[in-house]
Amino acid sequence: MWSLLPQLVVSGISTGMLYALIALSMTILYRATTVVNFGHGDMVAAGAYALFVFGVGFGLPFVVALALAVAVLFLAGVAVQRWLMQPIMAGPHLSLAIMALAAGYALRGALRLEWGNETINLTRPYPQDAYMLGNVVITTDDLVISGFVLLLLAALFILLQVTPLGKVIQATFQSQRGAALVGINVPAFQAAMWGLGAALGAVGGVLLSMITPLTPDLGQWTLIQGFAAMTLGGFGSLGGAVVGGIVLGITEKLLGFYVNTVFVEVTGYLVPIVVLLLRPQGLFGRRMIVRV
Amino acid sequence: MRIWQSMVGFIAAAVLALPAWADSTQGISATTITIGNLGPFSGPASVFTPLNYGAEAYLRYINAQGGVNGRKFVTVFADSSCNEAKGIAAAKKLVDEDKVFMIMGNPCSGVAMAIKPMLVQEGVPWMGASANPKISSPASPGIFHTVYPGSEAGRAMASFAISKPGTTKVALVMHSDDWAHGYCDPAADYVKSHGGQIVATTTLEHGATDATAQALQVKASGAQAVMGCLYQPELVVLLRDMQKYQVNTIVLAALGADFDQVLAAFPSHDWLKERFFQPYQFKARLGIGPLKKFHDIFVKYLDKNELPKSGEPTNFYYYGVPVGIVAVEAFRRAGPEPTRESWEKAVESLKDFDTGVLADTETFAPDNHVGVHRMYAVGLDAQGNETVYKSWGDPLPNAP
Repeated sequence: MWSLLPQLVVSGISTGMLYALIALSMTILYRATTVVNFGHGDMVAAGAYALFVFGVGFGLPFVVALALAVAVLFLAGVAVQRWLMQPIMAGPHLSLAIMALAAGYALRGALRLEWGNETINLTRPYPQDAYMLGNVVITTDDLVISGFVLLLLAALFILLQVTPLGKVIQATFQSQRGAALVGINVPAFQAAMWGLGAALGAVGGVLLSMITPLTPDLGQWTLIQGFAAMTLGGFGSLGGAVVGGIVLGITEKLLGFYVNTVFVEVTGYLVPIVVLLLRPQGLFGRRMIVRV
Repeated sequence: MRIWQSMVGFIAAAVLALPAWADSTQGISATTITIGNLGPFSGPASVFTPLNYGAEAYLRYINAQGGVNGRKFVTVFADSSCNEAKGIAAAKKLVDEDKVFMIMGNPCSGVAMAIKPMLVQEGVPWMGASANPKISSPASPGIFHTVYPGSEAGRAMASFAISKPGTTKVALVMHSDDWAHGYCDPAADYVKSHGGQIVATTTLEHGATDATAQALQVKASGAQAVMGCLYQPELVVLLRDMQKYQVNTIVLAALGADFDQVLAAFPSHDWLKERFFQPYQFKARLGIGPLKKFHDIFVKYLDKNELPKSGEPTNFYYYGVPVGIVAVEAFRRAGPEPTRESWEKAVESLKDFDTGVLADTETFAPDNHVGVHRMYAVGLDAQGNETVYKSWGDPLPNAP
């Protein structure tokens, strides 16, 4: 049984990379707007369907279809912020969370209207080969997904940690009023961040659609895993989101194999409970004490 | 005052205790028969709606021939979303407001089990495609399975698997719901009663995008066959991961997946040859031979929103048809003035009735409300040709 441990860890990292990407896109939005987007999973699914429409429906090359899918989801994210979130931004946080959830449900409903009674299988734009590393199988899927996510992560870290945009995000996260006072157009900035979050979700959806059939409910599972990874890493921590995703991916594989396969699903629910009880700030979040 | 309260309470209790006096000709007019078609027209289970449309296509075809005894069928569709609460509300609306004669379709086991007490109480017939065998066994008034319940399909899966020489160790990979147990429990019982053993039982939940742990557990268990009691998306995920980790055992999949659509998920079928099988419900291959007639019915009588967006009508369309065929035949036999009682007696009178679709003929009796039992298996042979088998290595000689 233990001879399969390296395989489980490698597979966990590959799966965890996808969770990391989804957690990261949720974290970016959270840092910029302090909103947890509970409709994010549906944006992930919408991204995959957008690829299907452009790639299969219009017959465009994969790279072009991918770029268009990302662009469409960016615009969808901007639209959600502009027309659904912005009007209630001054309201309680619960309203924002419910609106995000409702927007996701509406998106899923729209996908079901058109594709609800079929599952779609997208063709990979690369050959599916398997490589042996000792006893460990690594497929092209693993390499493509991990490589793509690593590239995106690197680009995002540079964007957020090195460029002035990262400072703007941090400023808006700490105080929207303060950010507005120093001349930052907060609503426009938040709209752009909603767009970025949705676009990154679209990339996650496209990568996911390479390894699993497409259904309108594809995003439900990813939302739970993304949220769990975000909680594990620490709300608002970019590095934490990545580490949280990978740890979650490995944990569900190990528990699923060595304890019971029920844990593959349950881990995503257990992690937030355990983390919030034992270490609410997550692995990399900072404990905050607020005086009132 | 207390006497009055007691009397009111007694009358209320008596009224509630009375069986519902359903009109046994409800839904029948001089020119129409109103049928309720209940299905998951929205939600994640809407991949099963072709089962509803298959039956509906046949009713439209009969209407085009002039109907039955001068009456044409009028269908009222109702959406259950495969959700018990929503299904009960939809069924009540069909019975109480739309005044249907019977309910057909209903591919969801959970919904079928949830509405069964109400239908039996009201005397409303049900003829559906749900997998759970408890719906029709033991026999309840008006409740008929004209297609294979999961128990028959589960036994067919197990029987084909252990017909492969030397196969005794079987693993189960299943959802944790009633539907999956409806297939995998009878399959496991069959394996055990024929000298085999279940060496691993693993769950793969709806929406899962990875089956690494399950595939590796199967590998570690030394299983020689896998019973995949899964819906289509998760079955594809399992097969892909089994292929990835070189878990080269045969896989028998439940009827939650469409064989051709599963094949379509794989760019190359090499790994699936002589490895992936499903119980096969039909007397011939889809769309050809005796099944050509039904292909033409689907194409002619279903609109474009009811047909697949691309490609030919799939397995589920054909599998929905026998519900319509048996219901119509019972109306024919019930005569010009059908009632629910005469219609039910007409169903129970069917012996060796050939639907022209299924591998088995339909036989009912007052104590047997499951019409069909015998199934085949379908898979790709060593050359990659879709082949219908009676047992391992024994293809159906006359399958077109």
